[in-house]
Amino acid sequence: MIPLLLSAIIFLPLFGGLIVLAFSRYPDRCRWISLGITGADLFLVANLLVQFIQNPGAITVDLLWIETFGIRYALALDGISLLLILLTAFLTLLCVLVSWRSITKRVAAFHFFLLLSQTGVIGLFLATDLFLFYLFWELQVIPLFFLIGIWGHSDRVHAAIKFFIFSITGSLLMLIALIGVVMIHKSQTGEVSFSIYALNTTLLTAKTEGWLYAAFLLAFAIKIPLFPVHTWLPDAHTEAPTAGSVILAGLLLKTGMYGLFRIGFPLFPGAAHNSASVLLILGFIGLFYGAWIALAQQDMKRLVAYSSISHMGLMVIGLALWNRYTLSGSILQMINHGLVTSALFILVGMIDERIGSRQMEKAGGLWRKMPLLSGFFLLFAMASVGLPGLNNFVGEILILAGAFKTRPWVGALGFVGIVFTLVYTLRLIQEVLFGEPKTDDPYPDLSLRETAILGAIAIVVIFIGLHPDPLLNLLEGPVGELLGGTKNLLTLQGY
Amino acid sequence: MAVYGQVILLGMMLFVIGGACVLIRRNLIMILIGVEIMLNAAGIVFIAASLRWGALDGQAFVIFIMAVAAAEVAVGLALIVYCQGRSGSINADTYNTLKG
Amino acid sequence: MKPILLLLMLFPLLGGLFSALFGRRVSRWTVERVACAGVILSFIMALIAFDSSGGKHQIITFFTWFQVADFSVLMDVRFDPLAAFMALTVTFVSSLIHIYSVGYMKHDEGYVRYFCYLNLFVFSMLVITLADNLVFLFLGWEGVGFCSYGLIGFWYKDMKNASAGRKAFLLTRIGDVAFGIAIGLFFLIFNSLSITYINGHADILTPGTMTLFGLLLLWAAAGKSAQLPLSVWLPDAMAGPTPVSALIHAATMVTAGVYLLMRLFPVFSGSATAMAFIAVAGTLTAFYGACAALMQGDIKRVLAYSTISQLGYMFLAVGAGNITAGMFHLVTHAFFKALLFLAAGCVIHALHEEQNIFRMGKKLRLALPGVYWPFLAGAAALSALPPTAGFFSKDEILISTFLHAGIFYKFLWFIAILTAALTALYTFRLFFIVFTGESLYYEEESEKSVEKPPPNMIATLWPLGVLAIFAGLLNLPAGWGGGGWLSEYFLNIPGAAHHGEIPHSVENGMAIASAVIGIFGIICAWFLYGPKGLLRRPDLPGAWGGLFDLLREAFYLDWLYRRYIAWPFEKMADILWNRVDREGIDRGLYSFANTFMLFSQILREWTSGRLSGYLFMLFMGLTVILCLLAINFSIL
Repeated sequence: MIPLLLSAIIFLPLFGGLIVLAFSRYPDRCRWISLGITGADLFLVANLLVQFIQNPGAITVDLLWIETFGIRYALALDGISLLLILLTAFLTLLCVLVSWRSITKRVAAFHFFLLLSQTGVIGLFLATDLFLFYLFWELQVIPLFFLIGIWGHSDRVHAAIKFFIFSITGSLLMLIALIGVVMIHKSQTGEVSFSIYALNTTLLTAKTEGWLYAAFLLAFAIKIPLFPVHTWLPDAHTEAPTAGSVILAGLLLKTGMYGLFRIGFPLFPGAAHNSASVLLILGFIGLFYGAWIALAQQDMKRLVAYSSISHMGLMVIGLALWNRYTLSGSILQMINHGLVTSALFILVGMIDERIGSRQMEKAGGLWRKMPLLSGFFLLFAMASVGLPGLNNFVGEILILAGAFKTRPWVGALGFVGIVFTLVYTLRLIQEVLFGEPKTDDPYPDLSLRETAILGAIAIVVIFIGLHPDPLLNLLEGPVGELLGGTKNLLTLQGY
Repeated sequence: MAVYGQVILLGMMLFVIGGACVLIRRNLIMILIGVEIMLNAAGIVFIAASLRWGALDGQAFVIFIMAVAAAEVAVGLALIVYCQGRSGSINADTYNTLKG
Repeated sequence: MKPILLLLMLFPLLGGLFSALFGRRVSRWTVERVACAGVILSFIMALIAFDSSGGKHQIITFFTWFQVADFSVLMDVRFDPLAAFMALTVTFVSSLIHIYSVGYMKHDEGYVRYFCYLNLFVFSMLVITLADNLVFLFLGWEGVGFCSYGLIGFWYKDMKNASAGRKAFLLTRIGDVAFGIAIGLFFLIFNSLSITYINGHADILTPGTMTLFGLLLLWAAAGKSAQLPLSVWLPDAMAGPTPVSALIHAATMVTAGVYLLMRLFPVFSGSATAMAFIAVAGTLTAFYGACAALMQGDIKRVLAYSTISQLGYMFLAVGAGNITAGMFHLVTHAFFKALLFLAAGCVIHALHEEQNIFRMGKKLRLALPGVYWPFLAGAAALSALPPTAGFFSKDEILISTFLHAGIFYKFLWFIAILTAALTALYTFRLFFIVFTGESLYYEEESEKSVEKPPPNMIATLWPLGVLAIFAGLLNLPAGWGGGGWLSEYFLNIPGAAHHGEIPHSVENGMAIASAVIGIFGIICAWFLYGPKGLLRRPDLPGAWGGLFDLLREAFYLDWLYRRYIAWPFEKMADILWNRVDREGIDRGLYSFANTFMLFSQILREWTSGRLSGYLFMLFMGLTVILCLLAINFSIL
């Protein structure tokens, strides 16, 4: 039953997307069908969650797909995947709601691509066969290329192409490295397999391992994005429609992180171990550099995009430290960042719809005109700076305090980062909400639909902030396995 | 057996002549004729080989080639007539829209 | 006990949530009453808890916040005498200020936001007061910072107010960095985040580690308590409504830093270096604040610098190893400084938002006797005149400093007592200029009337006035016939131990010295700033202008921050964005892409679009392949 459920969760959106295409002449029906499909998918995931809690333990699916190459349709569900697909289903549902009024051209195609990207992301979070993983990895890029390129803002085509070229460069290198690993594995065991469990027993010389890891790392680093391959992100975010930004920030960036700790580290434990410092340094550069540049922005969306780079930097630091606290913190932070940054993008989108600009100088004094929107804005901005009681704090304190167990200096420097975050966030709040209103136009405050979107995120944000234990419990087992797995492999290789 | 080598030589010469015709001429019809000559050169080589090895396969191939050549001429001439009607020229250099 | 403590913290939280969620749907009357009720009920709970605890330690866990392996964060409280006393003070002062606020904010549209922030502030402050787990304490610590941010920038339409809030939030967060690092180190060393556990096992720390912890906590506390060098936010914080200044920026939040040091006293008390640093920071700040307060022309800024200065005394008490004295001064200061701010609020209200002291004068004394007398009581307590509360608490700090081993502390004592004279001087400068003599601008404003503040504003001044004078009874020294109740009560608190018997000669001598110095300061103030005072003017004459500017601008510290930190930071952001990110990295990646374009430009020439060209290439290719094959066959 449950194995079937996994496949249903992955392919329901794709199936729904095809149905939506059939109704391309009736935009309203497209919206309702998409809402139904994403709602149903969220329901299925919730159902899965309940079953998983009652019956913990990894759930796997393993069917032969392409026999000649040993490619299998292999999925596995553990706590990490479960949380991430829950986030995916939740955010896609919100995306449909967010786009209800703002998308008016080619509505059916828009929803098709939206649902297609959901299939890609969920599949990616579940796949354990590397070929399948690669397939979903590419699958999520294509819909987003169109989402940005067709429904984006003025400079959308350029941003879409930039996004696509960056992504594809990374993935092709990954594909080469992937085939390399498979070939080496074949020469050692005589068996062709793409399964992560088979491949991570491959014995590699340090040099080969280094090169293969570098190729994988580049692909993941572009997606995360790490300095210095981050420049596609601000452009893509700035030009993308709100739903595109949400998918991008909430889900796509997470796939890079996910790949890094699920595939990069277990597959190449030695290289990952040796280059942890590189990752740490890149994470720190991202943390400070992103925050610093965010301060210089005028465009609100670009500011939030750079803040994403900064936050992802902290998560990479937590990952590079690779201990129980920081890893739990980083993974929890993936969820938190997905929620909070999406909320901020949605808010900026709503402001844009009202005042017709994303420039901060055009905004100002919004508190007076839209108290409800401003209240949400303040809440999510505070969550973003890690105010205790809201979700980001839990992840941040786990990463930072946990860092002391491995490298105290990292923790100390990381705490400095929280000041940098505060600087640009307070500037954003001040320029947008405070001061005298710039125009006399009356702006409508949030509609019921918009309140529901933001309210739903706010409830989750506060819930995770006050009671993150259920999530951390889900993470505990898989995190232990990840740590234990690499530790065994490292001992095997004599580290 | 000397005949075999001479026939192959003839086939090669015909093939080169046909190729030169294809490469040098700009007229589409002449190019088509060049192609026909090349096809027939191939046919001659097939027959020679058939003779040499005493197998009938080669002759069967020639019949196929003739059929294909006939079909090709029919389609090719139809296209040329269409091109003439459309842009008033059967010079191959007129059709350079694929230029990068 | 558990439900009482839970309610003690929950009442203000519920009040705040009520305002946040339903405040806009119900009447103003309801919002005000709910907000006040939340805090007053909390005060009652604090009384009950104080009464039933009987001075014992209790650690009560409400629930687990989160946990990863041994990193366990509990929502728990450590209810000991220190916390009980602090909780009482906080809820009492908060209750009065809530009642006062109802009058003060009568005509303001943003009352929902105001009471929401104020209630949440009280909740956060109680978390700091009671929490046992350091991360839980951090929740309150950041919570008060956020509420303070919202309240300083309460009148957000003026960007200056919003900027002041932002500055306060940022500077306190610079302090929080050290707090965070301390939390991480505690976790590393003790594998626990509980204050009780850490204090109990502090003896495993080496002196070096203790010094490190001392400095980290000092830095954290300096941010919150506006000590040097992080003090610059507090004067600007006066942009908020006056009751906020009274509650947050005088009586409670700014004392959180000192309180943290008291709470974690055993962690650094073994290190003489750390203690000396704390004492020096406190003394310097006390002196600095008093000097700056001397030249301010804005009634609230005088009080703000005075708060900085008085907080310095509390740090000195901690540095001298006497927590009881520090806590005693914290409480008396909460009473008399809140009183002074609230009275100042009445004055400002009466003069239609006028804060310039040189526009005040004896007309206020005549029109507002209900404000004049409490203000005088507060001023006397601030100047440490016997027998007011301020006299006893400050005296105890001076005695501890004097008796502390080492010539160094004698020097600190000397500065502290010098500061006491300055304190009396600036306090009564303020008092004389505000309540006596004529306004400097009386010609232009004769027709402006003095508006009487609502009675509930005035009424709250009186209890505070009484406490400002009589709170000294809490810890009356033996020489004055008192039993030192507070010292008894704090007997088991780490760090509250006595220096043994205090010699009577020192005690009496110190009392006389303080009294004389205080009175001397007042006399000076009368001659300099009284109705016919020599210096009763907004600036200093002639050659003294430089000194005036120096003090008025508080030694240009603010300017230094802007010039050497804020400005380069912003400039750097701009450089990173325009020069590095856009023109460096992004353009670099583009030129990398352009090299591929270059190749494609070359290849492009081959696609001539000429049929014969393509065919030629086809033949050439065919020829090459055939040649290769032929060579291959010949090898075979």
